[in-house]
Amino acid sequence: MLRTQGLTKEFGGLTAVDDVDFELDHELCSLIGPNGAGKTTFFNLLTGTLTPTAGSVELRRESDWEDVTDAAPHETASRGLHRSYQVTNVFPNSTVLENVRVAEQAHSGDARTFWRNVDHYDEFAERAHEILDRVGLTERADDHASTLSHGAKRKLEVAIALAGDPAVLLLDEPNAGVSSESVDEIRDLIESVAEDYPVLLVEHNMDIVMGVSDRVVVLHQGAVIADGPPAEVRANPDVQSAYLGGYEPGSLIDGADAESGPDSEGGTA
Amino acid sequence: MYDVLLNSPVSAEAQTLLPTVETMVGVLYFGLFAISFDFVSGYTGYLSFGHAVFYGTGAYTVILVANGKVPLLGPGTPFMLSLLVGGLLAVVLAILVGLVSFRLSGVYFAMITLGFAQVLYVFVRGWDYVANNPRDGPAVGPSHVEGFQIGVPGVDQLSLAIGVLTGDEVSLLGSTLSSTAVSYYMVGLVVLGCYFAMQRIIHSPFGRVLLAIRENEERAVAVGYNTYLYKLGAFAISGFFAAVAGGLFAGFRRSASPENSFYFLVTGDALLASIIGGFGTLAGPLYGRLFDETVREFLSPAGQGGGLLPYLRALLGQETLDAAVVGNETVGGLIDLLLNGHASLYVGIVFVLFVLYVPDGLLGTLRSRVGGTFAEAVPARIWGDDR
Repeated sequence: MLRTQGLTKEFGGLTAVDDVDFELDHELCSLIGPNGAGKTTFFNLLTGTLTPTAGSVELRRESDWEDVTDAAPHETASRGLHRSYQVTNVFPNSTVLENVRVAEQAHSGDARTFWRNVDHYDEFAERAHEILDRVGLTERADDHASTLSHGAKRKLEVAIALAGDPAVLLLDEPNAGVSSESVDEIRDLIESVAEDYPVLLVEHNMDIVMGVSDRVVVLHQGAVIADGPPAEVRANPDVQSAYLGGYEPGSLIDGADAESGPDSEGGTA
Repeated sequence: MYDVLLNSPVSAEAQTLLPTVETMVGVLYFGLFAISFDFVSGYTGYLSFGHAVFYGTGAYTVILVANGKVPLLGPGTPFMLSLLVGGLLAVVLAILVGLVSFRLSGVYFAMITLGFAQVLYVFVRGWDYVANNPRDGPAVGPSHVEGFQIGVPGVDQLSLAIGVLTGDEVSLLGSTLSSTAVSYYMVGLVVLGCYFAMQRIIHSPFGRVLLAIRENEERAVAVGYNTYLYKLGAFAISGFFAAVAGGLFAGFRRSASPENSFYFLVTGDALLASIIGGFGTLAGPLYGRLFDETVREFLSPAGQGGGLLPYLRALLGQETLDAAVVGNETVGGLIDLLLNGHASLYVGIVFVLFVLYVPDGLLGTLRSRVGGTFAEAVPARIWGDDR
């Protein structure tokens, strides 16, 4: 559905994403890594918000691979690469329904129609209602998005990404800042969505990652250091080192070394 | 209406408070310009500070066509057609300006459109093809002595001329409408048509995209909209209606100058009207302009439609006026000092108060009070919500 080859992004001397080869099939793949590992940069490269220094991004809908490396964000979106945001990024003063409806409308040829009333196009509103039903926001459809609680906004964030029949869903921390009671709802949502669409999920909550993923990819300092089923990745010593900085009980000094080593490398590169 | 009130027992008060019919014609065409300004600025969030250029384009086109200075279009070209030509010219101009300007956003967009406008303003001021004295601007010359007709071109029965001196008078059911009153209704007809057209666009799928851009442009891009094209489209549409407004202005006044068409303060007046009336509500700017003009006329000196100053003078009588208040200053002198020719000062204060305390403007605030547009809220109040 989606693949990258040698994808690299450099900001000045810093290599944020380093030669990443990645392929996503119809599965739920989690992308994890410590803060600053390059996960969001990787997302931005996929959607065209950032242009890669090197490498390619390709998207497949039915049979043929299509190169979208240099496509603008609105082009990748209309080809089916939909994303949600880590920091809630919705249309605050529109109703919840309109948030999804306008996203649904983007994938039709009718968005440029200026001579007909919007109520003429029932199908967008219908689809939007279906999506709201799926994420559990039906009762809030007529409220302004800014009045939603944080948890509900996170659901709306996913709902907007679901609009317009995506080919691939990129979910950037749908659980960010959500209280523990609501986490289960969003976890269920992720699982149900993954049955219909290929999902690439960025997530920090390890319970969710290990519980829902078919596959886990670990980024560290821009490079893939592990790729495999959840149990295998969890046992991988490199992953433990990346997350804990080599910390093991009783070996604090080693840990400090392991942490400062790669940092100084990054500074001189 | 106006005449009825002036002949009524409260005539002095009515003359004091109400603007004259001539002012009202100005409210209409300038209101349309303010609406077109609000169409792009209030709905996409991009402040078009050079909007006066489109107003000026419309105004100059009408006058130059009437003077036979536009190739292919003789002085006999119907007014409705030259309005349309002015509008289309403005569309071309808007696309050219927009292609460059929409690469920027926020204050930089406002500045670059202002820059384009000032370049054209200076250019028009020095272009001696348009008028003998381009600094004073063109006036309709002897090639087009009759009034500009609004209506169906070529059908005299369905057209009426506008203008204070050149307009038609109409006798209807025993009462005669003056040429100014006829102008009021005919200009109003065009303005109403343009308003409905813009209203339609705002409530179309295209209009919803504009709102999405104002709300959150980054997300609008992320769901698949090429916002650049949508903004450009909105800018062109807005330019068209601004030019129609300019054309009406020129058709009624029969002259235009760079100062009252191309100059950036003209845009400033539209911004003022938009903010007072309600930014992001289509009809708001018209009410804003009405409010603005009413306050100005209310505070203007005698002989310009009546206002507070002559009203107070008449009401208080000569004796009170001559009475000394502070030192040598009489009451009359004090009123003069406070009111004479200071309308702009007070309008400025009103503007500041609006920005501070009524940020949604007249219409925006009223709508949030009644909970929706009037067309929906008023019937709901009367017949209950369960229609």
